[in-house]
Amino acid sequence: MWRRVLRPLCAAMGSAFPSGSRPGAAVPGGGVGRPARRAGGGAGATWARGAAERRRAADDALSKFNIDFVVALLRQENAKDICVIQVPPEIRYCDYFIIVSGSSTRHLHAMAYYMLKMYKHQKEESDPHAHIEGKETDDWLCIDFGSIVMHFMLPETRETYELEKLWTLHSYDDQLAQMTPQSLPEDFIFGLTPQQQ
Amino acid sequence: MALLNRRLGLSLTHLNSTVIQRHFSVTGVCGAIQKLTRVRVVDNSALGNTPYHRPPKCIHVYNKTGVGKVGDTILLAIKGEKKKALIVGQKMPGPPMTPRFDSNNVVLIEDNGNPVGTRIKTPIPYILRRREGEFSKVLAIARNFV
Repeated sequence: MWRRVLRPLCAAMGSAFPSGSRPGAAVPGGGVGRPARRAGGGAGATWARGAAERRRAADDALSKFNIDFVVALLRQENAKDICVIQVPPEIRYCDYFIIVSGSSTRHLHAMAYYMLKMYKHQKEESDPHAHIEGKETDDWLCIDFGSIVMHFMLPETRETYELEKLWTLHSYDDQLAQMTPQSLPEDFIFGLTPQQQ
Repeated sequence: MALLNRRLGLSLTHLNSTVIQRHFSVTGVCGAIQKLTRVRVVDNSALGNTPYHRPPKCIHVYNKTGVGKVGDTILLAIKGEKKKALIVGQKMPGPPMTPRFDSNNVVLIEDNGNPVGTRIKTPIPYILRRREGEFSKVLAIARNFV
């Protein structure tokens, strides 16, 4: 019988599975980022926290292109520093936010095209199409699969943007705190719409 | 009767003259973004946040019509240089159930599509996700969505 693991106390915050304490830190081996609690492929997403989550989990397990499949493919591709962040449902963007590093531009392109190929192979007719964004760039590509968003970056780009920090500490991110609070410009006039006037 | 009217007229003009007179011209509510609109850069890039004596202005809209809505790329003149930018909010009301912002918000991007800044504090509309185009990067550095 598959026992549910402890329900996380902070149900509001999304749980993060970073590859290390610091993204830039050297990760031994292939840099796989999954803590021991999330054991094996198993019954797909068993991190259910409510009826909606359980339904979503069921959908995820039924669909062939789910998070376990994606991570298995990334490991196969020798992707470095796989970081899977589970985004809380309050932020209605996606379920999983994946950030992956590659060794070179060609590696990133190869990984992105391979993921797209596997998605096209596995998807049902009703699933939306996915396209690769950032083909002209040489350091940052991304694909939006609907419930999963994947970003392929070079390590230097990853250092600059620090997306893992933003998506785990949404409002408490340090780069956000360093941004000076903006005041309204002098020529800004709060214009009421003509109907209100 | 005529005297009464004249006296009333005089008092009315007296009332009118106490209205505040502006000594500068004010344009109406901005529509969508077109050439020479002043925009507000909302990311934390150095180019967008250092003060300059002229506000950043749109000089070209990459669109068949010259009018830019949310999700369109435009060319900005900032600090004496040209930079591409993505519109993320407009003052003009758009389709129903889409947010309307109090300022024309814009995020600076490079020619290859990478955003120049690393964080965006202002809310970003969800409709960018539906639109065809390269918006996932801008959504990835945004803090909250609308």
